[in-house]
Amino acid sequence: MADELDFTTGDAGASSTYPMQCSALRKNGFVVLKGRPCKIVEMSTSKTGKHGHAKVHLVGIDIFNGKKYEDICPSTHNMDVPNIKRNDYQLIGIQDGYLSLLTESGEVREDLKLPEGDLGKEIEGKFNANEDVQVRTE
Amino acid sequence: MFESSQNVMLKPTESWRETLLDSRVMELFFTVHRKIREDTDMAQDSLQCLAQLASLHGSVFPDEGSQVDYLAHFIEGLLNTINGIEIEDSEAVGISSIISNLITVFPRNILTAIPNELFSSFVNCLAHLTCSFGRSAALEEVLDKDDMVYMEAYDKLLESWLTLVQDDKHFHKGFFTQHAVQVFNSYIQCHLAAPDGTRNLTANGVASREEEEISELQEDDRDQFCDQLASVGMLGRIAAEHCIPLLTSLLEDRVTRLHGQLQRHQQQLLASPASGSIDNKVLDDLYEDIHWLILVTGYLLANDTQGETPLIPPEVMEYSIKHSTEVDINTTLQILGSPGEKASSIPGYNRTDSVIRLLSAILRVSEVESRAIRANLTHLLSPQMGKDIVWFLKRWAKTYLLADEKLYDQISLPFSTAFGADTEGSQWIVGYLLEKVISNLAVWSSEQDLANDTVQLLVTLVERRERANLVIQCENWWNLAKQFARRSPPLHYLSSSVQRTLMKALVLGGFAHMDTEMKQQYWTEVLQPLQQRFLNVINQENFQQICQEEEVKQEITATLEALCGIAEATQIDNVAILFNFLMDFLNNCIGLMEVYKNTPETVNLIIEVFVEVAHKQICYLGEAKAMNLYEACLTLLQVYSKNNLGRQRIDVTAEEDQYQDLLLIMELLTNLLSKEFIDFSDTDEVFRGHEPGQATNRTVSAADVVLYGVNLVLPLMSQDLLKFPSLCNQYYKLITFICEIFPEKIPQLPEDLFKSLMYSLELGMSSMSSEVCQLCLEAVTPLAEQCAKAQETDSALFLATRHFLKMVFDMLVLQKHNTEMTTAAGEAFYTLVCLHQAEYSELVETLLSTQQDPVIYQRLADAFNKLTASSTPPTLDRKQKMAFLKSLEEFMANVGGLLCVK
Repeated sequence: MADELDFTTGDAGASSTYPMQCSALRKNGFVVLKGRPCKIVEMSTSKTGKHGHAKVHLVGIDIFNGKKYEDICPSTHNMDVPNIKRNDYQLIGIQDGYLSLLTESGEVREDLKLPEGDLGKEIEGKFNANEDVQVRTE
Repeated sequence: MFESSQNVMLKPTESWRETLLDSRVMELFFTVHRKIREDTDMAQDSLQCLAQLASLHGSVFPDEGSQVDYLAHFIEGLLNTINGIEIEDSEAVGISSIISNLITVFPRNILTAIPNELFSSFVNCLAHLTCSFGRSAALEEVLDKDDMVYMEAYDKLLESWLTLVQDDKHFHKGFFTQHAVQVFNSYIQCHLAAPDGTRNLTANGVASREEEEISELQEDDRDQFCDQLASVGMLGRIAAEHCIPLLTSLLEDRVTRLHGQLQRHQQQLLASPASGSIDNKVLDDLYEDIHWLILVTGYLLANDTQGETPLIPPEVMEYSIKHSTEVDINTTLQILGSPGEKASSIPGYNRTDSVIRLLSAILRVSEVESRAIRANLTHLLSPQMGKDIVWFLKRWAKTYLLADEKLYDQISLPFSTAFGADTEGSQWIVGYLLEKVISNLAVWSSEQDLANDTVQLLVTLVERRERANLVIQCENWWNLAKQFARRSPPLHYLSSSVQRTLMKALVLGGFAHMDTEMKQQYWTEVLQPLQQRFLNVINQENFQQICQEEEVKQEITATLEALCGIAEATQIDNVAILFNFLMDFLNNCIGLMEVYKNTPETVNLIIEVFVEVAHKQICYLGEAKAMNLYEACLTLLQVYSKNNLGRQRIDVTAEEDQYQDLLLIMELLTNLLSKEFIDFSDTDEVFRGHEPGQATNRTVSAADVVLYGVNLVLPLMSQDLLKFPSLCNQYYKLITFICEIFPEKIPQLPEDLFKSLMYSLELGMSSMSSEVCQLCLEAVTPLAEQCAKAQETDSALFLATRHFLKMVFDMLVLQKHNTEMTTAAGEAFYTLVCLHQAEYSELVETLLSTQQDPVIYQRLADAFNKLTASSTPPTLDRKQKMAFLKSLEEFMANVGGLLCVK
């Protein structure tokens, strides 16, 4: 059985960004907050006074370290959106807390850490039980 | 038994006649109130009693004469009590309830039969109180009080006015005009800034204004105060002679001031571009004035309508007709067609149609806004005012623009000349509105609500063929279509919901009258690029590899959003074309499910396309087409199921939108089932001529798809997930539908599923909202009927229904429950009793045996006997069932409260 485990640690290498009007951002999308690439977990608008212009309140989770960032900006502003790449790998080994991952093109990546906490334990457990494990990075 | 907040009308039996019609009884209540009115709590109770007496009706009155006497006496007592006193805060709501009850309960002919003078004093008093409560309500708002008693009282009185004036045949024409003027003026005054009005002034005349932070959850005034505005709008129509010119002059004055103010700001900015802080107090006051003036105008000139064609209010039509002989049509058209100029600068401006001049005053506001935008002053403008403008224009266009003359006995000449069919005026105004829409979408893309109101205006312009015919003659429209198809800024910046509605409008426009060549060209501009771009992306050889690249994902997302918009544009006369167009996509979308299986937001959007197609189109589809859709949905579910196998959701911050996919799947299944209730199809009638008739050998049915879906969804649902209201409601809606439509399939479910379904019903009846409880009761009835039909006394369903009998029995007899539920519960109860007669007798016996008090015992035993007397032995016969329900009502009234008091 192929277990699908989502996790959001690791560096996918992509770092280029492109601008997007704040109002066009979506929840669950991505944005750069305080210089960090974040997944938007909360997005709300407000205005100062009835005749004020909309401001967008963004809460994002850093996709690499899981830290929370917030920002508030006029909805006409352009925000940087990070170019996020997702990759699926086949897990072929675990060594010293690092994963050996087989890419679709047949190369092996060994620079990704086994995630901490339950997710890591689960990956390890499944792998040791000889189950087929796919991991995904963002 | 009753909630104390409920306003229950008093309808006693004849035996009360002597007591209640004795004028001394009523006087006693008024006297009591006068004595205790300064005690807040007691005053409320005594006013409650009086409100009850004010609602007296039914067989207690032997004839109309006695009703007239009673009413006259009551009104006298009321006026004596409240005239000349200063009303306490705690009395406001009670007094308004009394008045509201009088006006609601007593028929017009009784009201007018009381002595004229008394009736006049009553209406004068009502007008006076309304204005006074209105002012106090405004003060409450300034002080930001938590408990808005005057607002509540004001609401009630305004609503009473609406009731009073709506049926005006009984009063001579113009009877209420002066009162209407009074109430209307005071409403306007409370909502305008000084010096014309008193907005934000405290009792001693000090202005207070704080800029507070307003969240997106705050309701817009037009929704929050819709009832007030509806009443004030109605009063404005009654006093149209006064109110329409008043609104016009106030608006024209504000437009001139706004224009001047913006010009001053511009000069200031030109003189010293760096000077950052500009005092916006004056502007904000103007915006707020204009805001309220537009809302009142909108409610005065047109009604809220849902679904039906809105009509021009007769009072407005009459008003315009009455003056049409004094009106110069050409000047009227000039006023309308020159929003950039001051109305008073046009020679002969006073000989114009007042209704059109009022509309043109709002076009002037709109024009000032547009010019400010062109002068780069957008940052100074109020998005709220922008919203008000397009909201008004939409409301106005729906009612007045190319109004169907057949719907009116008489139509005003200025109206039919200015915006009737085949007039230059209507073509001009369509062009003007379209330009406004396009400008707004570019300038205000960052103001979601405003953009949303703007596309709604666009939809209004194209949803009726007559208007759409004019719209597509505008070059702007074609530019808009092309620009949208290119997915370039600024339209590209709009939020997804706005883009969806824009797509809807573009599709609706395509069904306007065009020659074949033009139509061909239109679809080539609007729909084909969508298909082409989509196919180009997904047919790339390396699509699998690049599918996660942002550009590709955006393309896919935009396509899926557009598909939802296309589905939303479905009407009976375009469903054939749109369904065929969408079907091609649906099959490709299933492929996308596979590609994007790890991208939940895309998966959700794909499912949403199916949800929308099913929602908007299934009711029009004949058998063959419906089957195509069922098949596609089944495949979708299969892929979804395969991809979800073994998937774990490991987000600690589990929130409702994490389960969006589940919610959507349930919505899809519910939509598919809805065909069993609403079906407009005439065996592919609408498709005839489009395709050769297909042989219909039914391979997939709605039942197959839905039960497959239920097999999929049930194991994923858990008690924890039912804590999310949207999931919970959708889930219960779905299972109730299934029980109602396919009761015969329920016993065939796999054991686990069956059990969890029964458990869900039990849970729904015992520990969910009353809405869910009602749904579950509705589900139980068909299940019990199914059991009775199958006549298997050992089936699992049979056993389950026995358990339900006990539950429903307890609910009805022993527990407090919402009275609205009695019917659903009663039906379920009766069916269950039929099925389990022995068990029912046992329940009754057990209950009786626990009664210690012989009086209560006897009363209960009698009540139970009476309950089933009309239906012994109980059978599933409709007549018997109705008789039982009637007896149940009496039973509840008789002993319902007896056992649930603890």
